[in-house]
Amino acid sequence: MQQSKALAFALVAPAMLVLAATLGWPLVQAVQLSLQDVRVIGSPGTFVGFDNYRHILGGSAFWNAAGLSIVWVVANAVLQTALALVAALILNEKFPGVRVARTWIILAWIVPTVVVVVIWRWLFSTSGGMINPLLIQSGLVDRPIGFFATPWTAMATLVFVNSWRWFPFIALMILAGLTRIPDDLHEAARIDGANAWQRFRRITWPLLAPTLVVLAVIGTMLSFNVFDIIWLLTSGGPAGGSRTLPVLIYETAFKSYRLSEAATISVLATLLLMAFAVIATRALDRDGAER
Amino acid sequence: MKTILKLALATTMLMPAAAFAQDAVEITLWHMEQPPHRVARVQELIDAFNAANPGIVVTQEPQNWGEVYAKTPAALAAGQGPDMLFAIPDFTPILKDIGALTSVEEFVEELDAKHDFVDSTVEAYSYDGGVWAVPLYNMTMNLWYRKSVLEEAGIEVPSTWEEWRDAAETLSVDGVSGMGLPANRQLYTDQTVYSVMTNGGATEIYNEDGTLRFDNPETVASFEFYNDMLQFSPADSTSWTWGEAEACFSSRSCAMVMQFSVIATYDTQAEGDAADLGVAPIPSRDGEEHNTIAYANAVMLLSTDDEKMEASKKFVSFLLEPENYGRFLNMEPGLFMPVTADGATAETFWSDPMVEKYREQIETIIDNGQNGRLFGFTSGRTFPSIAAISAQNIIAETLQAVAVSGQSPADAVAAGQARMEEAAR
Amino acid sequence: MNRSLPLNVALVACLAFFIVLIGLPFWWVVSGSIKVPQEIIARTPTMFPQSFTLQHYQKLFEASDYPVYLVNSLLVAGSSTLLTLVLAIPAAYAFFRLEFPARGVLYRTILLAYAFPSIVVLIPLFGLFAKVGLIDRLPALVAVNVAFALPFSIWMLRSFLAGVPKEIEEAAVMDGAPTLTILRRVMIPLIAPGIASVGIYAFVTAWTEYVFASVLILSDARRTLPVGFSGIIGQYQIDWGLLLAGATVAIVPVIAIFALIGRGFVSGLTEGAVK
Repeated sequence: MQQSKALAFALVAPAMLVLAATLGWPLVQAVQLSLQDVRVIGSPGTFVGFDNYRHILGGSAFWNAAGLSIVWVVANAVLQTALALVAALILNEKFPGVRVARTWIILAWIVPTVVVVVIWRWLFSTSGGMINPLLIQSGLVDRPIGFFATPWTAMATLVFVNSWRWFPFIALMILAGLTRIPDDLHEAARIDGANAWQRFRRITWPLLAPTLVVLAVIGTMLSFNVFDIIWLLTSGGPAGGSRTLPVLIYETAFKSYRLSEAATISVLATLLLMAFAVIATRALDRDGAER
Repeated sequence: MKTILKLALATTMLMPAAAFAQDAVEITLWHMEQPPHRVARVQELIDAFNAANPGIVVTQEPQNWGEVYAKTPAALAAGQGPDMLFAIPDFTPILKDIGALTSVEEFVEELDAKHDFVDSTVEAYSYDGGVWAVPLYNMTMNLWYRKSVLEEAGIEVPSTWEEWRDAAETLSVDGVSGMGLPANRQLYTDQTVYSVMTNGGATEIYNEDGTLRFDNPETVASFEFYNDMLQFSPADSTSWTWGEAEACFSSRSCAMVMQFSVIATYDTQAEGDAADLGVAPIPSRDGEEHNTIAYANAVMLLSTDDEKMEASKKFVSFLLEPENYGRFLNMEPGLFMPVTADGATAETFWSDPMVEKYREQIETIIDNGQNGRLFGFTSGRTFPSIAAISAQNIIAETLQAVAVSGQSPADAVAAGQARMEEAAR
Repeated sequence: MNRSLPLNVALVACLAFFIVLIGLPFWWVVSGSIKVPQEIIARTPTMFPQSFTLQHYQKLFEASDYPVYLVNSLLVAGSSTLLTLVLAIPAAYAFFRLEFPARGVLYRTILLAYAFPSIVVLIPLFGLFAKVGLIDRLPALVAVNVAFALPFSIWMLRSFLAGVPKEIEEAAVMDGAPTLTILRRVMIPLIAPGIASVGIYAFVTAWTEYVFASVLILSDARRTLPVGFSGIIGQYQIDWGLLLAGATVAIVPVIAIFALIGRGFVSGLTEGAVK
């Protein structure tokens, strides 16, 4: 037993060390910074206690960004999961070319984010972009739409681009869940006279639900932290309409040069997300124990 | 680039010079002129310099404006910063504040005696008892149009705001936008809005004592006018940076745009007919005097090592020599204007084929630049807080409050001044 | 193939929708990259190129170090993948099979790593890497990418291990094989498809990473493809042709790699049964 403990630590320790050095230690630094008044990186700061926390929690920028972050996460979760679910259900069918489709659906996910951003920036632009002329030709609109012109449309467009990039990956994860559902269950239901919708509702959905929950939890944390797509497409605009917490952190640190305030927002965001993650992983654990 | 690498490799292997290159002073230049053809031109000049100065090896590392604000202080703190870094006026106070800069006043005086700097370009870097960077090139905002398009519509080149608005309205037909104007929270919008402000009597944003005077009737009128003009701009103006404006003009989707220069894109991506390309000063409220925004780009010297500092100075002097300076400016023909008197007449500047082709336009740009101003750097009223105001694009943010959020110009400008005060805190 | 007609119609319609959704943007990019500039920015865009030119590609390869960026990206993504697997497989096995104190807490902590806004660690990491001399070095990027891929990889691998039928492992234990031998000889071969999937996940994470690569790398010769690509997005002018050519070149290597191993990735995911 003693030996097994030592072995276990030997197996786990390297991974934990890497995580501690690259994620744990910086977090400690961030907490330290949040209690000082450092402005530009590298300049000295003095201890100010919880002044930054008071300032941040008392202002509106943090709360606005937190609200937008929630909108961002929820909208992405809904759109991604919906697209992914439909895609996965199709890919789970048998039809000519399904293997090819299963492989290449992932195309959008393997392209560097910067490239994704440039592709969509070009397609959505009103000079030279493809989307607007297409919409006008098909009679849906009569003049070009500014996709990033209002806070609302900018947010919607960003959610679309981010979901476009991520849904194929999620679709494959769901597909993995689907293939675990034994075919005989469907067969039996079919013999009992259940139609396609009833089979989905009674068999597929309940068996798939745990997979979806896991994906939702991880997806939430991953999409909460999405920064590059938003920053490169709208920089949080227009009028702050897409300034989620990661964007606010970057702006505070590198445009306003308030490093300590940025660290404070980071710590607060981490606490928020951790609370969510702890609750969610607890639920997952229970879920795992049941099966 | 590849050929250069191969060449460099070949020379190192063939020549015994490799041995003595070890003792050479190595200095690094960071700049934000990232498009490949500009990098290639800078490399040509560096190669010429390195060849002429065996004791010095200059290398360039092009950077991106998007990251350089984050990267430079971090790199300097880590001791990995560059020896020379290109800058715009409002970037310099940030590095000066963290003690990364020493005054180059004497060096600038020495160069001034030799080449005669345009005064305003040095002023933008002179405050707190020192000169913090060496001016290198100037950029001024202008109004661009196609002569044939204006003729067809039967309108004159606008000189007053009223004429400008009428022209934009007349030209907005058949899906064409009469006047392309950005409304993004980004530097380009700061520049265009300020260009309107300085033509509407709102040039100063500071009082003489350093308090802000952004919130005044002239500023409000300027924002009101700008917002009114936005109806003639494409729907996606709120996400525009410089490139979109040029693309809009090149594709004839915009009849007029406000831009430093459209020459390069007009020549390569549009019809490239030099006789048809029009450039004019930015219209002013009363049509009397025309001002514009002028960006004096400069180079900051960051070495802490004396030897490296001397090498950097040598390189900067080399760039400003008339026989090199024109080639340097023409890394993007029509965009970068000389900041020295002997540069403005340099044969190397005017002999570039593109400059020859668009000589008429470039002369107009230089003329317009005589009245160049830069917000926060006018009338000797320069205060370090301008760095924060500019880095956060508060002028552009104020415009978005009007154009996107629908606030009244008066409210937005008042809120803008409050934001500036908060930023300066 | 015994689907009802309406179901078949719905299937085809959805399939067409997804093909357009994913395929069309890529078609526009690739076809745009061979159009002359005037056609790219024309007010009525063309679905099929009316002109043909390689000028954008010529400019791309003449004027930028694209091949260098490509090699850097492959190096970083390749090493990140290897290192992630080397760290994640033993850890996942220990979490799955071995009893040790604080196992549950540690396992949960690993997933909590995703609760950090990655932006948070950017500044302190810069300081850390500066101390150990890793600024402007590719290993710094490898370290960051591994840290971001590890938690999810451990979690996925543990699920794959859980999917291995108990009897097989028990038989090995009965034979008296040491734990490590069981891992190496029995478990790893059995979850090979799963390992392939995790490997691809780690590869793509590293391949697409932008923010850290843009700040931690200072010199041009060490840039990765995403950062090198963003370099050709001009500050004051946009050369769409050059950008589209750059995008195409950035896409092609992943497509090539994926054409070779993509099938393994998908079957690894679907047959390895994520739990």
